[in-house]
Amino acid sequence: MPELRNVIVFAIGAARYAVELRWVREVVTLGFVTAVPTAHPVLGGVCNLHGTILPVLDVGALLDQPAGPAPRQGDGALVIEADGTLCGLRVDQVDHVASLFEDGGAVVDAAGRPLTLLDPQRLLRRALELVSSAVPA
Amino acid sequence: MSDTDLDFDPDELAMLRQLFRSEAHDALEAVTARVLATGSAKPTGETLTEMMRVTHTLKGAAGTVGLNVMVELAHRLESAFAALGRETAPWTASTADLIVEVTDGLRGYLDQLAVEPAAAEPLAQRIRDQIDRVARTRDSAPDVTLPPEKSDPPPDRPSLSEMMSPNESLSMPTITELPAPEGLPEPILDIPSTDLGVPEPKSYLRVEPERIDALMSSAGELLFDRTRIERRVQLLRTLARDLARTRQSLRDAIATDTKSKDARSLSDAENELASQATQLSQTTAALLDEIEALRRTIGELQRGLVRIRMESARNLMTHAARTLRALRRATGVRVELRTLGEETEFDKAVAEQLVDPITQLLRNAVAHAIERPEERAARGKPPSATITIRARQDGNLLVLEVSDDGRGVDTAALRDRLVATGRWSQARAQLATDADVLDALGTGVSVRGDADELAGRGIGLDLVRQTIARLGGEVKVISAPGRGTTFSLRLPLSTSLAQAMLFKVGGQVYAIPAVHVSETTIVDANASTATVRQVPVPVLRLESLLGQSTGNERRPGVVVSFAGKTMVCSVDKIVGPREIIIKPLGPLLAPLTLYAAATISGSGKVQLILDPAQLVRRVYPDAHEYQDPTSGPMVLAGRALVVDDSRAIREAMTSMLGREGWIVDVAEDGARALQMTRQLSYDLVVTDLEMPELSGFELIARLRKDQRFATTPIVIITSRANPEHRRRAKDLGVRALVAKPITRRKLLEALAAR
Repeated sequence: MPELRNVIVFAIGAARYAVELRWVREVVTLGFVTAVPTAHPVLGGVCNLHGTILPVLDVGALLDQPAGPAPRQGDGALVIEADGTLCGLRVDQVDHVASLFEDGGAVVDAAGRPLTLLDPQRLLRRALELVSSAVPA
Repeated sequence: MSDTDLDFDPDELAMLRQLFRSEAHDALEAVTARVLATGSAKPTGETLTEMMRVTHTLKGAAGTVGLNVMVELAHRLESAFAALGRETAPWTASTADLIVEVTDGLRGYLDQLAVEPAAAEPLAQRIRDQIDRVARTRDSAPDVTLPPEKSDPPPDRPSLSEMMSPNESLSMPTITELPAPEGLPEPILDIPSTDLGVPEPKSYLRVEPERIDALMSSAGELLFDRTRIERRVQLLRTLARDLARTRQSLRDAIATDTKSKDARSLSDAENELASQATQLSQTTAALLDEIEALRRTIGELQRGLVRIRMESARNLMTHAARTLRALRRATGVRVELRTLGEETEFDKAVAEQLVDPITQLLRNAVAHAIERPEERAARGKPPSATITIRARQDGNLLVLEVSDDGRGVDTAALRDRLVATGRWSQARAQLATDADVLDALGTGVSVRGDADELAGRGIGLDLVRQTIARLGGEVKVISAPGRGTTFSLRLPLSTSLAQAMLFKVGGQVYAIPAVHVSETTIVDANASTATVRQVPVPVLRLESLLGQSTGNERRPGVVVSFAGKTMVCSVDKIVGPREIIIKPLGPLLAPLTLYAAATISGSGKVQLILDPAQLVRRVYPDAHEYQDPTSGPMVLAGRALVVDDSRAIREAMTSMLGREGWIVDVAEDGARALQMTRQLSYDLVVTDLEMPELSGFELIARLRKDQRFATTPIVIITSRANPEHRRRAKDLGVRALVAKPITRRKLLEALAAR
């Protein structure tokens, strides 16, 4: 049973996700979220992260599932950095740093509960595709 | 002497007077700075001599441009300085105040003179009275005796009074006695300036600040332009990738279909496609490198411009000294200003933004921090408090510290207030360190519950924090109970500041670069156009584009111009012009072309900057020549053949037709064109007349004989179109004859012709 160490486990609604710690730059409480009209719903808004502009993305929409609630000031977020691009993922709860296991093709935590392991590089590529696709005429 | 007696025509005179006004402002500021720099101590003889020299120069310049009252005022002031130069002449705190009032008054007088000369005379009279009082202070008893050691001139320099002839008349001429300017008695002896150790002034270029600001904003615009180009190139790169993918699928298709007889020619086409795709990627990569070089050059340009705008902290310190003087007079609090690091240089734009925060900090110090004299005495402090402003550079940061030696911040009381106002929980207040408590100062709480005229309810410090945050900096408060407080402002030496018009739509604030905003107006209910300077222009309802509003009510509008096109954007509310800091949006937001960049407000909120190019495109769909491939499927107009022996024209036509949705093939002469038409059919032929091998008319004649080209639209482009040509063209059923040089408009007309 292969093991994947150092992943951060978090929850959005009822769904549980994990992402390798090496992609996570910080865990923050969002400041004021500025909506970006005309943008694809995957882009929940933009935030001021220490003076830089942080796009806040919806994990649901990234995985082609229904988008969650729009991010708001005070929400938790994981700041992900991949391929030189920074983004925030709105989360409801950050659990803990854990190790993951594979169990019959499914990713599970130590307690054997299944969760979705996210690939930030792929997520960001998908985000760029979605944001580009919704550019209005 | 009236204006007509001068050697200048009115325009020239107006310009000269404007130059004089600017020069006089600097000269008077120099006098003010010298007076303020000495504090309440008497300036040295050297300083007084320099003040006289500056005033004297001013007098001469005023005479040249025919401002006789100014000549007289400068003369009086010079005489007053000469009187003060006498060793026996006392110097009191009110002398310094008076001189500052006079120099400020003179500047006000000159400004008034430029606007409304009639209203300037009462000002002149007040200044005369003030100067008289400066001169008279030598007769009155000093109200504050000053430490004499400070006024000692350096031993190696003769004092002013030593240099003055005892017989020199120091009496003030009355106005009625005043002869022509050149007849004025000179109050000082002609002392060679080198004797006084005055350095030769460096030669400087005088430039109106607005000109530099205009250059700065153009350089800022370059950044936006670069971003636009970069986006296009990124699109090209995506296209190149798509092309490579298409080629791959084509190859796969060919590989599975080896038997077909078309496979061989398809394979050739695939090879060509491969090499073209490679070329496209290489060109795009090279283009990206060049954009990178452009980015560096723009950066250097901006840094160079910022260096032009660099100024020393001296102006800021002088302003602070003047503010403190006014505060001292208003409150009676005894306080001295000490300044350090006046040579520190920073962006003038940053310096201007710092005036208000520094004023606020001084007010706070005088109103809250400095104890009453008996309290100071009880603590063993000198009766007069000291506020120190220190400027220094720390790496890429400018650090400005404003320290007082007052009572310090009562962190316990602040803790209580944080809890009492419900901002902090009891537990948090207990856990917080003193530094945490101080960080909360000026975020809505103040130490004192009561407000007074000088320093509000901690709102002042809120503003300081906001201004510094907007400049990309931070405020740190360090306090030692009973010993004083230091406010440390740390901010970038310079920032990419831009002027922008801010407005509110759908509850959010947006910005448009000010260079593209000419004015604001009102958009009537249900109006699709608005009248700007008697011209109707289209309206873009931003409240429906950016907000949820569907109503078409009467609203304020921002007049936006880009590339010669003007429009009005209706908004919910105009916030007003602001200086903003431009923040890039980053790669994820780059595809959203509606937004050029973002900025961060004083309260830390992100505000989006709209791209005026995109706004204009929405109401002038034809204005933008470039059809954004992401903006929907392009309507294919058909396949066109362009025949011309000039490569430049072939390229130009390809690009023009390409934009109209044509797939374009080119041929360099009629023979090659004929060859190509045998293989493919075309929906449009555009041909030159004079070409080697086969001329344009021969080509057209042969094409018309071919069933497939019997009615194909043909357009002739030529540099010579005589009646004979026209007749022949008509016979051959040519749709239009277009004279070179070809423009897009001519081409479109030709295509539309029937």
